[in-house]
Amino acid sequence: MKSAAASEPVLIGQPSDAELGDQLLAPVWTRLPRGFYIIMAIAGLLSLLLLALVTWTIWTGIGLWGNDIPVAWAFAIINFVWWIGIGHAGTFISAILLLLEQRWRTSINRFAEAMTLFAVVQAGMFPVLHLGRPWFLYWLFPYPAVMKVWPNFKSALPWDAAAVTTYATVSLLFWYLGLVPDLAALRDRAPGRVRRIVYGVFALGWRGSARHFQRYRIAYGLLAGLATPLVISVHSIVSADFAITQLPGWHSTIFPPYFVAGAIFSGFAMVLTLMIPVRKLYGVGNVVTMRHVENVCKMTLATGWVVIYSYACEFYLAWYGGETSEMYTMFHGWTTGPNAWVFWLSIACNMLVPQLFWSKRVRNNQWLVWVMSLAINVGMWSERFSIIVLSLQRDYLPSSWHGYRPTMVDWGILAGTIGLFTFLFMVFLRFVPFIPVQDMKELAAELRGSRASGTADDRKESA
Amino acid sequence: MPHIHRPPIHWRSLGLSGEPDEAVDEAEFPEGADRAPLAVSRRQFGKLLGASIALATGQGCTGRTPEQILPYVHQPPTVTAGVPTTYATSMMLDGYATGLLVESHEGRPTKVEGNPEHPASLGAAGVFEQAHVLGLYDPDRARRPRRDGAEVGWRQVLDRLSAPRADHGAGLRLLLEPTSSPLVHALVTQARRRMPEMKVAFHAACDRGAPIEGARLAYGRLLAPQPDLRQAQVIVSLDADLLGTMPFRLRHARHFAARRRQGGRLYVVEAMMSVTGTMADNRLQRRSRDLPRLAAALALALGALPAELVTACARVAQGADGADETWARAVADDLRGRPPGTTLIIAGERQPAALHALAYALNERLGNVADMGSPLGFTAPAIPGPRDDGAQQTLAALAGDLRAGRVDTLVTIGGNPVYDAPVDLDFAALVRHVPDTLYAGLYENETARASRWFLPLSHGLESWGDGRAYDGTVSLQQPLIRPLYSSRSPSELLAALGGVRQPDGLTLLRASFPAGVDWEDALSRGFVDGTAEPPAQVHLTPAAVAQAMGALGPPAEGSTALEIGFYLSPTVHDGRFANNAWLQELPTPVGKLTWDNAALLAPRTAQQLGVSDGDRVQVTVAGRSVSAPALVIPGHAAGSVSLWLGYGRHGAERLAEGVGVSAYHLRTSAAPWFSDGQAVKIAGRHELAVTQRHWTMHGRPIALAATREVWRRDPKVAEAHRGVQPSFFGPPQRTPALRLADPSAGPQWAMAIDTSVCIGCNACMVACQAENNVLVVGKAGVLVSREMHWLRIDTYFQGTPEAPTVVHQPMLCQHCEHAPCEYVCPVNATVHSPDGLNEMVYNRCVGTRFCSNNCPYKVRRFNWFDWSERQAANQGVVRMQRNPAVTVRERGVMEKCSYCVQRIRRAEITAREQQREIARDEVVTACQQACPTGAIVFGSLNDEASRVAALRRDPRSYEVLHELGTRPRTTYLLRLDHPNPEVT
Amino acid sequence: MRGGLLAEFADAEALLAAIPRLMEHGYAAVDAFTPRPVEGLDEALRLRRPRLNWFVFLVGLAMALLGLGVQWFCNAWSYPLHVGGRPAFALPAFVPIMFESAVLFGSFAAFFGLFYLIGLPRLHHPLFDVEGFERASHDRYFLAVDARDPHFDRGATGRLLADTAPLRVVPFGRLP
Repeated sequence: MKSAAASEPVLIGQPSDAELGDQLLAPVWTRLPRGFYIIMAIAGLLSLLLLALVTWTIWTGIGLWGNDIPVAWAFAIINFVWWIGIGHAGTFISAILLLLEQRWRTSINRFAEAMTLFAVVQAGMFPVLHLGRPWFLYWLFPYPAVMKVWPNFKSALPWDAAAVTTYATVSLLFWYLGLVPDLAALRDRAPGRVRRIVYGVFALGWRGSARHFQRYRIAYGLLAGLATPLVISVHSIVSADFAITQLPGWHSTIFPPYFVAGAIFSGFAMVLTLMIPVRKLYGVGNVVTMRHVENVCKMTLATGWVVIYSYACEFYLAWYGGETSEMYTMFHGWTTGPNAWVFWLSIACNMLVPQLFWSKRVRNNQWLVWVMSLAINVGMWSERFSIIVLSLQRDYLPSSWHGYRPTMVDWGILAGTIGLFTFLFMVFLRFVPFIPVQDMKELAAELRGSRASGTADDRKESA
Repeated sequence: MPHIHRPPIHWRSLGLSGEPDEAVDEAEFPEGADRAPLAVSRRQFGKLLGASIALATGQGCTGRTPEQILPYVHQPPTVTAGVPTTYATSMMLDGYATGLLVESHEGRPTKVEGNPEHPASLGAAGVFEQAHVLGLYDPDRARRPRRDGAEVGWRQVLDRLSAPRADHGAGLRLLLEPTSSPLVHALVTQARRRMPEMKVAFHAACDRGAPIEGARLAYGRLLAPQPDLRQAQVIVSLDADLLGTMPFRLRHARHFAARRRQGGRLYVVEAMMSVTGTMADNRLQRRSRDLPRLAAALALALGALPAELVTACARVAQGADGADETWARAVADDLRGRPPGTTLIIAGERQPAALHALAYALNERLGNVADMGSPLGFTAPAIPGPRDDGAQQTLAALAGDLRAGRVDTLVTIGGNPVYDAPVDLDFAALVRHVPDTLYAGLYENETARASRWFLPLSHGLESWGDGRAYDGTVSLQQPLIRPLYSSRSPSELLAALGGVRQPDGLTLLRASFPAGVDWEDALSRGFVDGTAEPPAQVHLTPAAVAQAMGALGPPAEGSTALEIGFYLSPTVHDGRFANNAWLQELPTPVGKLTWDNAALLAPRTAQQLGVSDGDRVQVTVAGRSVSAPALVIPGHAAGSVSLWLGYGRHGAERLAEGVGVSAYHLRTSAAPWFSDGQAVKIAGRHELAVTQRHWTMHGRPIALAATREVWRRDPKVAEAHRGVQPSFFGPPQRTPALRLADPSAGPQWAMAIDTSVCIGCNACMVACQAENNVLVVGKAGVLVSREMHWLRIDTYFQGTPEAPTVVHQPMLCQHCEHAPCEYVCPVNATVHSPDGLNEMVYNRCVGTRFCSNNCPYKVRRFNWFDWSERQAANQGVVRMQRNPAVTVRERGVMEKCSYCVQRIRRAEITAREQQREIARDEVVTACQQACPTGAIVFGSLNDEASRVAALRRDPRSYEVLHELGTRPRTTYLLRLDHPNPEVT
Repeated sequence: MRGGLLAEFADAEALLAAIPRLMEHGYAAVDAFTPRPVEGLDEALRLRRPRLNWFVFLVGLAMALLGLGVQWFCNAWSYPLHVGGRPAFALPAFVPIMFESAVLFGSFAAFFGLFYLIGLPRLHHPLFDVEGFERASHDRYFLAVDARDPHFDRGATGRLLADTAPLRVVPFGRLP
């Protein structure tokens, strides 16, 4: 990342342990501007809307949605894939960048992980909700049944169930483990007995002993090592929901890498969407610097190109395969069929918008970056819409072709998940330090050391 | 079951109780019968059960024996619960009888099949016959008599009817539907004996007079043409919908298929593409009014006709363009090229009598008219032709009398004249001016609302009656259940009119039944053998034909006016089935339109009017206009707009209310079938619930078709589309479920469908719906493509939109051996049975719909809602029709064709009881049984000699989407057409 | 450690400087408490690397096999069905779930293994009684010698600690 050479460092100034501690723990007990609570309230209301719509759906049936035959899957699955994709960047930052010893991950990895966690919560709802008879969800798992009716493990859906549960659990463990030392710090600094007790309980009695830290770092590394292949596997398996079928537009071997790339792409976009307002709100520009913004932009650009390559492959393979139905679906159904505009929207947002990140001026204009990140989120949602709906609309027998139109319930549920996500995220911001304090202290110490030994941390970092 | 313990007198008869006291009827099947079949109506059901068992066994709970109704041959005289019993009866439609076998579960009629012995059915049952049983359970049927809207007792009604009249009936008019029923005619005569001045008029929306009138022109007397399609190598249909709407259509379809299998040829000239038109080897699109011109041209081309006829034809044939000439010449050559007596030219009922007369003349010319063994014979009509004398009058004459105030009492039994009478008569107003009007019908419809008295009629499955098939065969209609409501049969009402105070359907029927015929035998077979009319000796009088043709005159010079054509709806007929949910949701054979009526027009006409599907079009005839949404139909004649009759109802029928527009508003007595008019685009759109929106195959090998020429050159067309696909998992033998040709594996079920003879009549769809408790989703459901039909008929057009060729492809679960739906189901809810069925386990389904996504044939249907609770059409008495052998699917589960697994298992059980193997072709699926052409064949692949195995070996056999390697058990036979290359 | 002596330092350097002194005198039961991981601390204290990774690996492997077993039992042994013409035991299709169970239980092993190793959760500890120890999680560095160490002697050890120039030396917990 040579272009970064002239830009801000990952940490501005040489804060002492105390300074860092005070600054980063402060948000948990300092009062926040009214705007924060207003947004939180709106998000809360949207969450209630979600609750209402979900209840109605389960009560009446998914006929409330726009789904039809042939488009038997639509919003529910689109939202599922989209949310779980968003989660991926979090794990990517906290696990893969950790193993790659990228220092700039430190200050953003915790809320990236939180983002993962809450995104997975949203995603996790849909596999249940989209069932015709959600109350029989447990039939997807091999529980000891007298009737000996077991799940069919040849289907991708039990894989899905396993992958998503695993992903949610591991993300939680990983996030909580990283939180423990800071919870101890909160315990020790918190004003008031109640908080001290609460945080104390969650801190599990952490004393910051050398032995703790030594084993802690081993375990943390192990979790990172496990999370890395996991994050790859999850979206690969999600992509199998489509790839194992023979539906034109789904039946494609490049789906796993394609989906993973798309996931991380959208995830980084979401990181930007969250990071930029947060660093303003809390005035932590010295810790979450423009360098972070820039690096995330670059990651987005890089993964964006993998996505573009995948698009190219998909269409090329359709053409090269020469299968009439698939060619029709891809070249006519997607581009000119009903709802084709969504496809073109995804092309615009995912292929063109990220190209602006080539310019350093754009990367350093954080509000422009923020708007772009929103565009990319929309684009990735549209991509999932194209893959799922546009393909289903045009399969083998023209006689059964039919369009698709979502209902207000569909839109409401999507909005509701966005609300719930925001709500959970703001709760997180309120009650735990969203920047890992002890890691920052360590980073600061390292930087002091490296400055002493006179090495430019930039070069070290770019290694 | 209170009534069971009542004095036996209530059981004395089926339709009627001793005294006409409401109590009995009320208590019989009160409102509860149309309540949801939960705890509440289980009691009701019990009642029905008891009542009906009592019925069927002929034992009440009382020692006395009420009159017997007899099960179909070989059936035990008593009902064993759980074992359905079949009875022979008949359905009257447009006055003609069709023989049926009706399946009854514990006294509930549930399923209609054709009566194999009956000439009109030959074992097949069309959409109307299949839907007949749903009509019985229609919740909107009238429950009790009314006078001026207030309920009255039957006694008052019967008193009113049987009251003697001082004026010998001079002020009394009787309006009936045209009927072949000997009983009805006998009773009318009886009534006239009592009231000699009384006049009777017969009216039906679909006037079947033209062919008979044509015979009068050609032969000097009223005769009914009896075409025999078996004998005709070449058929020329001049707007004649032989397979769709004409009487004997099921018989014709069977014979047409038999002929087509050996390679007959069918020419069709018509405006709106009919079912028959879709089967044409050569189809010519012409406005209905151009047909005389074309027929005349054909006559001239044939030559060797009497001089006066030639001159007349020459006049009519003026303005025949080049295309007409070439067509006429080519067809004429074809006809002349055949041995005499092997062709058939037949005109449609929509065409003037003169054209029929000409057609008869041409058949004479081609030696087609001889004794019954020839393509065209004549008999005395089963329905006496129209007369206008002291006893009988036409509707117009009746209207005249009404207008003149010569009528004080109008008794209308059946039909719905206020709705469907020619608009120029303004019948509604006339009826309202009659001092006293009585109307008897199944529903409190438009006519009921215009009349003072309303009398509920019993449904055909509830009442005794008779009728004659088109060829005259006397058929009996025996009730399978006591009337659900307080109703009477037409014959009973007529008897009352004739002075009988306590008319009783059975007694009346027995009385009119010819002596010396074995009543019980007739009853058990459903008809009286050998009562078909004998062939009539006929001698053509060309002069009369010529005169009639001359009267048609040459087409008005350069008449460019748009033609507005009226057609009987292929689903709701003339409107009488408008409240039948199955038929409303049945996609029309061409257009695939449900729950609606539309202005059907050719692509070019649509272009000229600047409309596309769903745009509102205002259609005007003689100053009257209606607005209907446009629907473009490939192959429709240009310059013509077609409307289906039977929509736009405003009676008590809730389902029919507001569905479509009524074409009767445009229909005058002068031009009942087509007339000049205008059509203009007007503002507004209307969403049409069309089930198939894409007509082309996009060049994919889905429904294969070939001409005989191509076939002769390359009989391997289909070969690339069948046979074993290389499979990653090796040959199918590796999976024990599919041990083919291995006797130890037991039967391996499979189906073969011959698209060469599939006429797309939809009979299979309704049969499947009736057999498998397929629920109705309503227009809103169809609009979002959520219809539940397990079996649909895909109709593909090839060639130009102006003159396309057609392939019908019934599409149902293909029961793939390598089923894509199975391996994606996370809970093993759809798996393969050892006998090769793709089984859907409703109880296990969680509703992921993954299977549907992966089904390349998209034949799976999902219960998006609890349809049976959500849709009015699935509620109430209708539930009495449900087949107890088939689960009614819950909300949130997937469903699909099961190859009628319940029938397979029933056959297995029977076989096991009798300690034998399942016989060859013993298992018959509902669709197969209904199919009039025998296009659907079902059986076991392990039996080399079974018909299905043979058809799979046929060189025409192919698998749809064979390249996917799904190894479907349902295979198709390529459609072979035999077009005349001379016709361009 | 139930009790011992605790020395407080202003920064990590001072702490790191102090530790060798104790080691020279053969102290083994020594532990440091810091607000962050300190580079070189493990070596200074001569901490052994526990075999957590092997444990995690074995658990993961075992659970992968268990995952395979369950799938085989369900689809191929207990109730084999004819599904899409596919073989009942379809190894390729069983891989994803094997992998996921390996990761899931591997993570559990790492997580709970860690807390087993460091003896947490333990909400109370004698050190927490020491005034100002809460700064161990903030900005102060502590060095503790366990009273159970054979070389431990309140006086001598105290003096030794004092020589390392700490901010202060305090006893904690129960001392002999």
